[in-house]
Amino acid sequence: MTNPTDEPDPVPPVDLVDHVLRVNGLGKLFGKLTGAAIEGTGPERGTAKHAATNTVVAAWDVSFDVSPGEAIGLIGESGSGKSTVMRCLAGDLEPTCGVATMRRRDGSIADLFEMTAAERRALRVSDLSIVYQDPAEGLDLSITAGGNIAEPLAAVGFRHFGEIRERAASLLERTEVPIGRMDDLVREFSGGMRQRVQLAKALANQPVFVLFDEPTTGLDASVAAGVLDLIRDLLDELGIAAVVVSHDFGVIDMLTTRCLVMHHGRVVEQGLTDQLFEDPIHPYSQRLVAAARA
Amino acid sequence: MTPILRVRALLKHFVVHNVDGRTVEGLCGVDLDVHAGEHVALAGSSGAGKSSLLKCVYRTYLATAGSIELQVSSGNVVDITTLTDREMVLLRGRELGYVSQFLRAEPRRTPMEIVSHAAVFRGIDASDAPEAAAAALTRLQLDESLWDVYASVLSGGEKQRVNLAAGTVAPPRLLLLDEPVSALDPANRDAALAMIEDLTGLGVAVLAVFHDIDAMSRLATTVALMDAGRVVRTGPPSAVLPELTGVAR
Repeated sequence: MTNPTDEPDPVPPVDLVDHVLRVNGLGKLFGKLTGAAIEGTGPERGTAKHAATNTVVAAWDVSFDVSPGEAIGLIGESGSGKSTVMRCLAGDLEPTCGVATMRRRDGSIADLFEMTAAERRALRVSDLSIVYQDPAEGLDLSITAGGNIAEPLAAVGFRHFGEIRERAASLLERTEVPIGRMDDLVREFSGGMRQRVQLAKALANQPVFVLFDEPTTGLDASVAAGVLDLIRDLLDELGIAAVVVSHDFGVIDMLTTRCLVMHHGRVVEQGLTDQLFEDPIHPYSQRLVAAARA
Repeated sequence: MTPILRVRALLKHFVVHNVDGRTVEGLCGVDLDVHAGEHVALAGSSGAGKSSLLKCVYRTYLATAGSIELQVSSGNVVDITTLTDREMVLLRGRELGYVSQFLRAEPRRTPMEIVSHAAVFRGIDASDAPEAAAAALTRLQLDESLWDVYASVLSGGEKQRVNLAAGTVAPPRLLLLDEPVSALDPANRDAALAMIEDLTGLGVAVLAVFHDIDAMSRLATTVALMDAGRVVRTGPPSAVLPELTGVAR
């Protein structure tokens, strides 16, 4: 993907010495990219939609990096652009501009927005996993828990049935799914249990990087707490780099050390998570924190 | 000798957008040094800026202007106000300890897990962390039967000891203490103060807020009196503390 001519800065050379992921100047528009659409949207304008051209600037000028073992938060209300950023990184949406590079486990650099569909599938199997809010997006509900986990294992070359079962069982055990339910259809699982199966699948091939999109939203409070604990323990234990997208400051606070606040498609503030909570600078961050504390 | 911490002309203003955009002045030009093995106690009335200063040094608050220089283990001097967030995360792990009055108890974590986790963050090998955590919790006299219950169910004084253990499990280069013994009974308070005293003896630089003059006179090598967001007087406890009686507690 090339940058449109009216994007302000050229993308600097990629330096991934200390990063697993680096995102630079990511933008996603629905409609025509014009200077007027960029000027006419954002937090100061109070909207992500440019009325004159009907263009929606869902995300603009988003840049951040993630170091090994680090979890970064992306927080904002619905419509802020955080899920757009997530979906562009996941390959579910094609960005309008920007560069995202990822260092794979073998040390090679993957240019996420320049990959072919086949290359992207390979990346998703080996290095990059996504945990969706809706388990139906990450899992096939019509097959068993074990079958869902077998899929990525088979894709990287696990061949023996016994080997696959053993690995699937150990993953389910780690994500606290009773082994006795390994051969049950995921459709028969509760919401919290589906999310644990999704986590097991996401971890199957020891990814270097995981995207979490509202991983506990929609679950009952006590179930959400259990899933959140599990994610926290897994991040601590496995040293995976992660981006956690959530509207919930509690989730961001528990899982991340740094975060970005998004509003009307722009990053309005970024900082250490505890600093953003105790000393938010931007008016929108202050509103967000006040609401979280209420 | 280069101080571990050198604060110059530090300003912290809060702009409260959601009320009427008013500006609240927290710190109005703080100058302060803390050397290795020195315990500087911040004194002054409530609202004088003591906690704000600690939070600016830990960067829980973003300084508005001025410099906060820290001499790190390598001997280099870094300015906390200009580090990237990522650099600050690493610095917190290796060089800084911060113990607040209240344990923001992570949900569903035990004292053993909290303190072990802090030890790993400080660079202790994961296999050695439980032992280091046990030593820290023992030193602060937290009953062993409480090590594996969720910290959220502990009493205020017990939480405070978990907090102190986590902040000191591997001695940082600079230890920031904000009323760390306020909820402790006399025996536990004594153990905690003895532990802090030993850290200073080991060369740790300490910047602390205590509300009681006894703790300050026992531990401080220097007392810095704050008023209206500035350090207005520094000196040995014997010189400064007598002035506090009746003035600011």
